[in-house]
Amino acid sequence: MQPHQGQDRRQPPNPKRSEMNFTHFAAIALVTGLVAGCGITSRVEPYKQGSAVIQQGEHVVVLARKQHANHEAEADFVQCISTALAKGDKPIEVHASKEFEDKMYPWFEPSTAPLTTEDLSHLFERPGVLDQVRGTGVRYVVWLDGSTDRVASGGGISCAAGIGGAGCMGLAWWEDDSRYDATVWDIRDLQSEGTIHADVKGRSVMPAIIIPLPFIAHPQAHACRDLTKQLKQFLTTPEGYGGRAVDAG
Amino acid sequence: MSLSHQNPVAMRWFALAACALVGGCSTQVIVEAKFPTPLVQPLPVSVGILIPEELYNYIYTEDVPEQSLWTIALGDANVSMLQPLFKRMFRDTRSVDAVPAGSAPAGLDGVLKPTIAKFEFDVPVGQRDKFVEVWIQYQLSLYDADGRTVIDWTVSGYGKSELMRNRQDAVQKAAIVAMREAGATISTKFADQPQIKSWLGEKEHAATPGAGPQAAAKPEAQ
Repeated sequence: MQPHQGQDRRQPPNPKRSEMNFTHFAAIALVTGLVAGCGITSRVEPYKQGSAVIQQGEHVVVLARKQHANHEAEADFVQCISTALAKGDKPIEVHASKEFEDKMYPWFEPSTAPLTTEDLSHLFERPGVLDQVRGTGVRYVVWLDGSTDRVASGGGISCAAGIGGAGCMGLAWWEDDSRYDATVWDIRDLQSEGTIHADVKGRSVMPAIIIPLPFIAHPQAHACRDLTKQLKQFLTTPEGYGGRAVDAG
Repeated sequence: MSLSHQNPVAMRWFALAACALVGGCSTQVIVEAKFPTPLVQPLPVSVGILIPEELYNYIYTEDVPEQSLWTIALGDANVSMLQPLFKRMFRDTRSVDAVPAGSAPAGLDGVLKPTIAKFEFDVPVGQRDKFVEVWIQYQLSLYDADGRTVIDWTVSGYGKSELMRNRQDAVQKAAIVAMREAGATISTKFADQPQIKSWLGEKEHAATPGAGPQAAAKPEAQ
């Protein structure tokens, strides 16, 4: 098809429009840069050494390791894992953590909780303990160890107010690191089934041009999703699971 | 009879209000919790439990620099932690009013008196620290039926809790963890103390000749 002669559809350049386009592109570039700066990197390393698979009627309990002085898996992270395991695709029956600790008191307190499956075996030799565990229906204990910590931060925002108005200028950023290990114990067979390690880093940025615009990463929520997904596979896949790291950008 | 005997709860609130008025800007925490009964085998002795008035009405106050006057009431929590604990730890328990002077009430092998020896807490001011910490130290004094002191045993508990928006809640949670820890140590290590092992041995020997201290202490041994 031939183009029509003498009909040039291109409009002459409009200087005002070019300026708008430049501003538009600059804004998009800035936002893209900030969103790219605000990112999550995730690495999950599952390792399953046993072949146990959860059966119907068997429960899981998620407990935080509390022996460390300077860190401890946060209560809301433990709750997040417990809730997510019990919901969604392939839900698992989860026993409430606090209720389990109360039923087993004083044997799952920070100073008395078994650190190895050998300790667990000694604990079960005590009168009444094994019966109490059986009563809860729990077959697997998921020990959560780790925490979310701020590893870096920088920049700054200045705000001022006057008669004509108020506003802020600047750029602040911070990076949080969520590192958790989930170790699965089979308390019927008294053995460790393996560990899933998750390391999720999240960088948040907050530019301020008149008003602060927060672009916040949530590495802990991401770690909860990743660990839950892996734990579900871990507890439902008999063999051929684990031994390879999973990266997500 | 004192007013505190008539209405201990009202007295506790009165004391807290007085502290608040005196201190002006103050932070008050009333630690309240339900503690579980320990899963341990009872020791084969009958023990009188003497919970002194100061433990029932324990209020800790501290003026923390750069913060405020903190007032922490632990009385109710002490009672709800220690009563089920002792009830489960011994074959038989009953409340008594005094340490035996010469001879214990009939049927008791001894009297146990708990007190708080020390209480400390730390609420972080900076953003680096993210835990509120609480340390509590109980002293358990066990008296034989004739009033002789068997042991003055100090038991510590440590608890921490993430710093939340509400600092009082974080202190309360940390205090509960510390009390649970102390309770765990009391219920699992009581019979391991050499003086108590020996005392249990004497009681068992008196009851059934031939039984030794190890046999009596075995169910609780760590």
